[in-house]
Amino acid sequence: MTAEAGPDSALQQTVFIVDDDPAICESLSDLMESAGLAARKFSSAEQFLEACTPALAGCLVLDVRLPGMTGMELQQKLVKSGLAIPIIIMTAHGDIPMVRNAMKAGAVEFLTKPFQDEELLTAIEQAFALDRAQRSAKSLERTIVDRWKTLSERERQVLEMVTAGMLNKQIADRLSLSLVTVKLYRRQVMEKMQAESLADLVKMWERMKS
Amino acid sequence: MATNPRSVSEWTYEFIAKPMAISVFFVLLALLWTFPLQKVMAYPFVFLFFGAIMGSAWFGGFIAGTMAVVLSSLAIDFFFVPPFYSMAIGKEFRTYVAAFVICAFAITALSSARKKSETAVKIARDELEIRVQERTGELQRSNAEIMQRERQLRELTEAIPQQIWRTDAGGRIEYFNRNLIEYLGKDAPELESEAFLSILHPEDAPLFVQNWEAARASGGKFEVQARVRGSDGGYRWFLIRANPQLGADGGVVCWYGVHIDIEAQQHTQQALLISQENLSRLSRKMSMAEMAASIAHELNQPLTALVADSHACRRWLNSQPANLERAVATTERIVRECTRASAVVSRVRSLFTKSEYVREPTDINTLIRDLARLLRDDAIRRNVSIKLRLAEGIPRLSVDPVQIQQLLLNLAMNGMDAMAESAGARELEISSEVSGVDEVNVTVRDSGTGLDEAIRARMFEPFFTTKPAGTGMGLSICRSIIEAHQGRIWAEPLPRGAAFHFTLGSNA
Repeated sequence: MTAEAGPDSALQQTVFIVDDDPAICESLSDLMESAGLAARKFSSAEQFLEACTPALAGCLVLDVRLPGMTGMELQQKLVKSGLAIPIIIMTAHGDIPMVRNAMKAGAVEFLTKPFQDEELLTAIEQAFALDRAQRSAKSLERTIVDRWKTLSERERQVLEMVTAGMLNKQIADRLSLSLVTVKLYRRQVMEKMQAESLADLVKMWERMKS
Repeated sequence: MATNPRSVSEWTYEFIAKPMAISVFFVLLALLWTFPLQKVMAYPFVFLFFGAIMGSAWFGGFIAGTMAVVLSSLAIDFFFVPPFYSMAIGKEFRTYVAAFVICAFAITALSSARKKSETAVKIARDELEIRVQERTGELQRSNAEIMQRERQLRELTEAIPQQIWRTDAGGRIEYFNRNLIEYLGKDAPELESEAFLSILHPEDAPLFVQNWEAARASGGKFEVQARVRGSDGGYRWFLIRANPQLGADGGVVCWYGVHIDIEAQQHTQQALLISQENLSRLSRKMSMAEMAASIAHELNQPLTALVADSHACRRWLNSQPANLERAVATTERIVRECTRASAVVSRVRSLFTKSEYVREPTDINTLIRDLARLLRDDAIRRNVSIKLRLAEGIPRLSVDPVQIQQLLLNLAMNGMDAMAESAGARELEISSEVSGVDEVNVTVRDSGTGLDEAIRARMFEPFFTTKPAGTGMGLSICRSIIEAHQGRIWAEPLPRGAAFHFTLGSNA
């Protein structure tokens, strides 16, 4: 991959704590600070959603039982709107179906209150790693899309056909162009997309399509 | 009639030919016998002719008699009145002949009249005979009809799927239908009313007798549900009903009874009861689980904060250099959270003990009797017999009757549960006695599996249970109730089973 991680991933990762109990919010954020992590407190799912932007980096430590929107509902809402921030779920009593649903929806960890600091910190470490990976993947995608936008209509057509495995001759036939013109377009596509090889170009195309 | 030739000939035969033949026959007979006899008689011998006339009139009627008179007169005149062989009559014989004729007519009239009346009598007799025969036939027909109807009625009673009987006014059995005999497997004569009790379940017999005596005394309807032993030795539940038939004077003539098999119905009802019980147990368990979850959540919140704070505190102290300022702030939060957790605990406790304070003068024996009635169905289903041994003169105690009832119910249900597996006689005895000054001791004794030391040590603890579906709250609640009444509760193991005692004072 020639694409470098975007500047977003360099942002400081923060632990977002959502619990309706202010004492827990306070204690957990104190614990985060004592472990050298940045923390922000929210007393409800709605409050978190207000502050939520795609630029947020870090992870969510979320209580299941919340007034208004529940933790599970918030998780689903975030997944739907593509805000893929990693989530650690807290509950007073972990019933199996709830754990299964939360894990299915992509939760990193499920903690039963009360829990040891190591459990939470390990989960946060995992969540941060996942967040970084997601973030860099996302910024790569954004770079590819930016590059693709610089292509002309013809170049985009050629890109599509090349990545579909068509030979230059076939492309020329299909687009009623000369072989030389097709080769020229192809070189321009490789340059603009900053692809080192055909394989590289196919990979970028696949990523963009998904 | 004259228009009918056959009738004319019949008339001719009836009124001319037949009288003529009869009179000629008799007169000739008399004439033949008179000839020899005349030879020794001085006067014309006419007596045989009287006989001929009598016979003619008798057998031929008045016409034949008249003809015989004419023929006889002519024959006498011709043969026996001088001058002989002439129709002339000698002067001295005219009176004689005239007397004969008159007598002859008289005889004819008499004889024919007599005959006529005799014939009338005969006809009347015949008619009577016919009428009697007709009447007899009718009687036989209606008899057969009655018998037919009775047979149909009997077949009907035999065809009814229920068991039917009839007794006389005194209760002696007079009739059984086939169904009942087949079920009992006995001959009807063997079953006198005394013996009838022997085929009832011993537990149902007293109620049967009580209701039966009451029905007999009042002449009203009789009804009872009881188990009746069949020919196979097993018992089935029956609804036994009887109606009296009243005579003109209003007294009972006989009783008609019917046994309706309600075994299946009883099973359904019991199944229903069991499922109801399971349901209520389930809902009790559910609400317990819900409450437990809510308590756990309430306590987990401060605990979670506490654990997190403790870890944070250690981290602040362990950091290089140690951040004492933050560590102190965290410790202050720890104290706050501990206080909060303790407040949750007292709130939960007050939740459990919060109840209306009720004390009213209560008769413990009445509570026990009410309970026994409440448990009757359950006990029958579980094959447990409940015995009450209640002391007289127990003082009324100032208690919460609902709570004490709950306590008794818990102990009784525990006792019955303990006997669920026991093979021997299942007996639950509830007794009351005065055990001190204004103090009552109540004992609930079972013949179940008993108590070992390990169970006895923990049995009053909450959530301790030996039952797979138990909540572990029953005895714990019992103890709370007794403590609220300043009484005592304890368990005593028996050689077979266990006894639970509790005392209640009047100052409770």
